[in-house]
Amino acid sequence: MRWFLRRLVFYAFAVWVALTLNFLLPRLMPGDPIAGVLAHLSPSQIQANPGIIQTYQALLGGGKGTIWHDYVVYLHRLSHLNFGISTSNYPAPVSDVIGRTLPYSIFLVGVAFLIAFALGTTIGMIAAWRRGGAVDTVVVPTLMALGAFPAFFTALLSVYFLGLKLKWFPIQHGYDSGLVPGFDWAFLSSAFRHSQLPIIVIVSAFAGGWVLNMRTVMINTISEEYVAMAHAKGLRDRRVMTRYAGRNAILPPLNGFAAQFAGAVGGLVFIEYVFSYPGAGLTLQQAALGNDYPLTQGLLLVFAFCVIASSFIMDLLNFVLDPRVRAT
Amino acid sequence: MSQVQPLVEPELTPLSVVAPRKRGRLHIPGWLSLLLANPKSRFGLLVIAFMIVVAVIAPWISVSNPTDFNILATRQAPSWHHLFGTTDQGSDIFSQVVLGTRRSLILGAAAAVIATALATTLGILGAYSGGIVDEVVNFLTNVFLVIPTIPLLIVISGYLKARGMMTMILVLGLTLWAFEARILRGQALTLKNRDFVQAAKVAGESTWRIVFGELMPNMISRIAAAFVLVFYIALLVDAGLEFLGLGDTTHVSWGMVLYWAQTNSTVLQGEWWPFLFPGLALVLTVVALVFLLAGIDEVSNPRLRNVKRSK
Repeated sequence: MRWFLRRLVFYAFAVWVALTLNFLLPRLMPGDPIAGVLAHLSPSQIQANPGIIQTYQALLGGGKGTIWHDYVVYLHRLSHLNFGISTSNYPAPVSDVIGRTLPYSIFLVGVAFLIAFALGTTIGMIAAWRRGGAVDTVVVPTLMALGAFPAFFTALLSVYFLGLKLKWFPIQHGYDSGLVPGFDWAFLSSAFRHSQLPIIVIVSAFAGGWVLNMRTVMINTISEEYVAMAHAKGLRDRRVMTRYAGRNAILPPLNGFAAQFAGAVGGLVFIEYVFSYPGAGLTLQQAALGNDYPLTQGLLLVFAFCVIASSFIMDLLNFVLDPRVRAT
Repeated sequence: MSQVQPLVEPELTPLSVVAPRKRGRLHIPGWLSLLLANPKSRFGLLVIAFMIVVAVIAPWISVSNPTDFNILATRQAPSWHHLFGTTDQGSDIFSQVVLGTRRSLILGAAAAVIATALATTLGILGAYSGGIVDEVVNFLTNVFLVIPTIPLLIVISGYLKARGMMTMILVLGLTLWAFEARILRGQALTLKNRDFVQAAKVAGESTWRIVFGELMPNMISRIAAAFVLVFYIALLVDAGLEFLGLGDTTHVSWGMVLYWAQTNSTVLQGEWWPFLFPGLALVLTVVALVFLLAGIDEVSNPRLRNVKRSK
């Protein structure tokens, strides 16, 4: 229980650091972000939204109030999910833009990450169990090599070969043009087909890391006495591998989940950019290029929260799976 | 990109056994001959040496000014005249890639120097001091690890309108230190209670002297490994930012060639050369650094070397 409280304090602190970093960043940067943002809005647009300048000032600085006053206003507005209005999507508020694009990213990275994890740990487990076997000598090096490629290069290669030359997958956008996003079969099936290649690219980029981690830990686990004991009891080989050695070897790699996920969230930007996929990553890139600071600030916070939340979930899972953690 | 972050840190024994020096005309330092004896680090060092040579002689082997455009020679596939083909402006991609090597290597190395210096100081100081200093440093490191680096860098680059080389070096150096600091802290913790450190403490050495005079020299192989790790991560991240259009747009680099290839949708028009060659240059450098890293680990930790013989 003490462990659990310590983690809670850490996450609360991490959230506070993310919020504060997000608050300080535009104030530390050279130049005048407010002027950059307002340059994208016409005088009539500014007049139509009383209070918009104050919102931007709380978010980006440059107002008349002290930094502490700004900070309080900033936290207050954020607690109402008020990030201001996105200048590149005028008149949509930042929260709407994020709400529209984030589901695509969550789907992409969520599905791909689970596949990469399941595939990677299984292959790593088998590779360690039969060292020098076919899986260990062929599949493992292949996945490791793919993992060393920058994600955007793998994405470009797959667009060219699998998409353009072999025509196996659609290569651009999140769904066929002409469809309206909604919960109908035509849209969902189209969205599914468009997500296949990006998912394959993310899996190929991340499976290698899981394979290596799992294999390393598994090799150590195999020499434990309870594994020999399980063999001696006459249990089937598969059962010893999965329920005895694998069950215990999976715990250390799980601890690296959050760091891997943080990397995947970053890699997502490149992959969405290559595929023109309408997710939050592409939106972040476009917003950063187009000086849409309210949107970049909002997205940075959302990305940080996603990583912190995933890290918290993994801690909880670890708590459930590992009795040693519960005991402390 | 963090798919390459090592998860399980093997306990490394400090590199203390130096191969006996051979008397010869060419004096090769001990650490270099050790690294050259290992096939992995030898491959890595040779490729990096090749890259450095390319970077140095780049102005002489590039056939034309990389930003020259030629309307009569646009979108040409690789040929003897244009080894890597031309862009849709008619610029020679071979010259761009060759000249880009210079910037990529300098930027990656310089950012890695800053990040390593920060990580070494914070990691070792925290581990040695213990108590509140360690708590604060460790907390800070862990918080930095859960804030996604790439989105953070994209947002920062969005604010910076002049993204010169020095700026990018500083930004990358100051954001990429956290995972290294954690690795080095773990290593320093295992060294902290050794006799030589205790002896130095009893002798009345100052904390800084113990950190930099006693602990650091004994962790030099681990620090070198950390340097190589950040080197290639900085290379990848910098090329990635440029690819997104958020780099230094005034200079030629691998990422910029990739950016123009993507912006002009050359892939969708079936042109493979504008993205393949700069991409391969990046991959080759990164793979060489990964091999060098594996080699350093094997040289400094003999246990990793015997994997093949044990089974």
